[in-house]
Formats: sequence, structure tokens, C-alpha cells
Amino acid sequence: MHPLDRVFENSARSIAKRTSRRSLLASVGRMLTGAALLPLLPVDRSARAQTPAAPAKQGSGTAPTAGKVVDDPQSCEYWKYCAIDGFLCSCCGGTSNSCPPGTQPSPITWIGTCHNPGDGRDYIVSYNDCCGKVSCGDCFCNRNEREKPMYRLSRNNDVNWCMANTESDYHCSVSVILGVAEPEK
Amino acid sequence: MRDCGAADGYGMGASMHKILTRVALLTLFASSRLLAAPPPPLPTETLTVAKLGPKSPHWVYVLDEAQDNEIDARVYLYDGDTHRRLGQIGAGFMPGINLSPDGKTTVVATTYFARGGHGTRTDVVEFNDNATLAKAGEVIVPPKHAQSLAMTFDVAYSADGHFVYVPYLTPAASFGVLDPVKKTLIGEIDTAGCVLVIPSGPNRVSSICESGRLLTVTLDAHGKEASRATSAPMFDPDKDPLFVQGIQSGDGYLFLTFLGEAHEVDFSKAAPTFRPTWPLVTGADKGVWRPGGIQIGAIQRAQGKLYVAMHRGGEGSHKEGGSEIWVFDLKTHQRLARWPFDTKPAGRAVALQVSQDATPLLFAATEGADVAILDAQTGSLKHREKHLGQTPSLLLNP
Repeated sequence: MHPLDRVFENSARSIAKRTSRRSLLASVGRMLTGAALLPLLPVDRSARAQTPAAPAKQGSGTAPTAGKVVDDPQSCEYWKYCAIDGFLCSCCGGTSNSCPPGTQPSPITWIGTCHNPGDGRDYIVSYNDCCGKVSCGDCFCNRNEREKPMYRLSRNNDVNWCMANTESDYHCSVSVILGVAEPEK
Repeated sequence: MRDCGAADGYGMGASMHKILTRVALLTLFASSRLLAAPPPPLPTETLTVAKLGPKSPHWVYVLDEAQDNEIDARVYLYDGDTHRRLGQIGAGFMPGINLSPDGKTTVVATTYFARGGHGTRTDVVEFNDNATLAKAGEVIVPPKHAQSLAMTFDVAYSADGHFVYVPYLTPAASFGVLDPVKKTLIGEIDTAGCVLVIPSGPNRVSSICESGRLLTVTLDAHGKEASRATSAPMFDPDKDPLFVQGIQSGDGYLFLTFLGEAHEVDFSKAAPTFRPTWPLVTGADKGVWRPGGIQIGAIQRAQGKLYVAMHRGGEGSHKEGGSEIWVFDLKTHQRLARWPFDTKPAGRAVALQVSQDATPLLFAATEGADVAILDAQTGSLKHREKHLGQTPSLLLNP
């Protein structure tokens, strides 16, 4: 298990011991809803643009091409998408952290840890889905770093995270920075 | 029209060349007269609905998730011998599909929105007559069917066909119990966070838990919970996660892990029994060659063979399809063959299924939406069906 995952795992288990499942889910939901409304961390990405932006493409893969830093949120190789599964909202009228006009963000989601080669930091990201319209159909991307099957739901990208929305049709996916992940001491 | 005779000026002294030319022209003229004659009219036609022929072991039901427009998933019935699509079953949004134990029904657990991509959500379990591919009843269920990419246990029949189980996810996990004969919803059973519905016997449902254990709920004759039990740990989800796509074996299901351990589970008894695990990958290949994809393996039960889509990968590569197909003997656990899979035409193999007859076909759906048909004895390619839908990802046999 990745040390960063373990930090969150231990934290989640600790919470689970003290709370019911429903209240845990409610808390997580509130946390992630709130997180989605937080402004992005002030990260200057221009310094990391070492290669020309790759064209938007359908694709899947486990990691970006070795030695290549992709700074294009419309590329599946963009660092924040290390465990995303779906259509990139960046190609659908939104951005890597905003839903396209007229869709609704999912309040519940899955979380992961992605390494940003531009600043050498690991970031906790939430992979929210944007909901209420038919699938966007552009820039499909499937990467699965530390992704787990459905029995570990908070690490799973197979399910429709729009499931609890009033309008639960899946449209596209975003990756939202929740904070810098501190390595386990 | 003039006659062809001496009066036209051609006498004995005419060259053979001219005669032949004349004959050829006349023949052409006569032919054109024949061609110009109107052919007899085609017979009148009667509009009918095609009927399916007798069920073939080489038929396969192909779930196309229609990823680019996901509210329009469908199941194609495809003939592996004639290479024809025989018909289609509608499957809605992120469905679970399965076949009844007698093969007569395709069950689809799915979602529809009132206005296409939006509007009131209705979740429903639909029954489709496999003899006609027509819908043959439905049961409306609470709007919480577990919507997911294709999963083998996203709806299931009991072994005697008396119950249908449909998993729910809100994200709290539970499952519904249905009577497929009366077309009624019997009830809902909480699974304490364990997911999916693995059917066994006439009245047992197992679900996979985050702890690596199986929860098994036993139902009474009315489909209500009679008892439940949690197994010993079956796998370690931290060290080597288990794919949830179980493969039907003789007395239960075989599951594979990300690193390639085979977990055979006997579901024939009151509680699932775990056989000793065995590795698909040994030596220097361990951790390098891995199973992966969506429907990662298939078992030919009579011949005791396991087929697995394998790729070279690492952490996070578990959904990558196979660049090779490995074949194992289920008794000896020895690898019998290692077949390269041609990835050039349409990518790697993401879903495998094998027919259960004496001359089995191996079906392999690819990343690029082809379905390759291989001789399951030799691995040789018999046919490649180009673009069988958008995203074929689950293959079921009659």
C-alpha cells in the first residue's frame, strides 16, 4: 500500500471507529463538497511546461511517457489524472477542476494521490464526476495508479460517482487538488 | 435489319478478318437485344420479423456499454460461426447483465432517465426472452442499482432460477431480492459495505468485503434473510487486490489478483471454501506479467482450461488488456500455452469468453472494439469482427 494511502486509510479507519457509516459518508461528502469549492492552491504551472501540449486524445495508460512532463489538462498524461477514469471535463467545456456549464458536480467521489513532477510534490486529489447530461464522449482517459476494485469504494473509479446526485447521469470527470500530501513519518 | 448474306457485297474473296469482325458485331448486337429485354419482375415481399435459429454454443452475448453515449448500452447476440449479428437487447445506463440458469432469459438491471440524459431516474430489472429477444417483463427497483462499468456480478440468478439478486450502491451497499417468475420485488438486504452479488445454490448470496472476506447471506424460502456469515480472509486488498470479476468454474468461481494469484472458491456448500491459491506467474515474470482488463479470464469447464489476458505492467496497470493470452490446466496449474495476441488491428484483449462445447471458440473483445474469435484449442485466429459496437466489455455464453 502506498504510504500516502495508508495515512488516509488510518485516518478513515480512526473515524470509522468513532462514527456510524452513514455519518462518515455524510462527513466525507461535506468535506469533498467543501473541497470542491476551495480555490486551487497557488501553483505556478508555467514553469513546468517543458514540452509542447499534447493534443487531446483518447487514451489510457499507467503513467506518462518516461521523462516527459505534460502540462496540458486536455491530455490524459496530465499529472493530476493519475487515477481518473472517464471523459476529461477539460475537453467538454469545463477545466481540470470545473464542471462544464449546466452540469452538477458530484458531492461524493473517490480520492487519490498524484505526483506532480513539476514541483516534486505529491498532492491529494479528488476525482469528482460532473453530472446531469449524457457522457461527453471526448478525451476518454483511464489511468489507475493505486486504484482499487469496488470493495474499496473510496479508491474505485469504476462506479458512477453521480449516483447520489438528483440528476445522476454521468457526463465527465475532473481532478481537484485537496492539498499537499505529507509523507508518512 | 439486313440479312447477312452474299448480297451485302462480301464474297469469297473477303478476308477472314472481316468475316470475324462482322460475326462479332452481329453477336454483340444480338446480345444487346437480349439485354434490353426487361427481366421478369421480382416477387412481392412480405414484411416479417426474423426468427432466431436453434441456440448455438457458439453464440455470444456482447455487452456494449456505448461509452460515448452511455444511456444507450446494448447487448448484441452474435454468432461465432456465421459471424453475423443476430439481434440486440436494449440495456440502458451502466447495466448489469446476466443469463438465467436455463439460458432462456437475459436479465438486465439498469437505469433510465425520463428525458434521455436527464429527468426522473427509474431503475428496473428487465427480462428478455432469448428465443425472440423481445422484452418479457420487468420489475421496478429502488433507484439505487450499483451503476458501474461492466461487472460479472452486477445482477445474478439463484442456481434454481427462483430468485434474482441486484446490487445497490448509494454508496451504502445492499442488494435487492426479486421473484423473476411473479415479477415482484421481495425485499432488500444490507451487506455492511460488502459489494456485488455472487450467487450460489438456490438461496445464497456472497458479497466481497473491503477486509478481503466474503459475506454470505442465506435466504429463506420467501427470499428473506435467514442467516449471514463472514468468511475468513480470502485475500489481502492492500498487498494484492482481487479482481471482482469472478470466472465460473465447476463448483464455484475462480478469482484472480492483480499480481496473478488464482483463488478458487468452492461455492457448492453452505459456506464458501477457499482452495489453496496458485500462481499464474512465476520466476522472473512475477510482478512483470500481470492479468488485466475488464473480463480478464474465461474457463472451459469440460476441458479444465483457464484462459487469461496477460500484459507486461506494474502498479496501476490492472485494467490494461492482454497482449498475450495464457492458457492453464486447472488440475495441474501448469501453463499449457502462451499465445501472442495481435494488438495491431484494434489494441489489446480486454474481455475473454470461451464456449462450453467440444470444439470451443475463444472470444476476445479488444480496446478498439473488435471481437476476435480464436480456436480455443490452438489459439489460431478464425475471424475478427471489426467494431462490434463502441465498447464491447462483457461477453456471456448461452
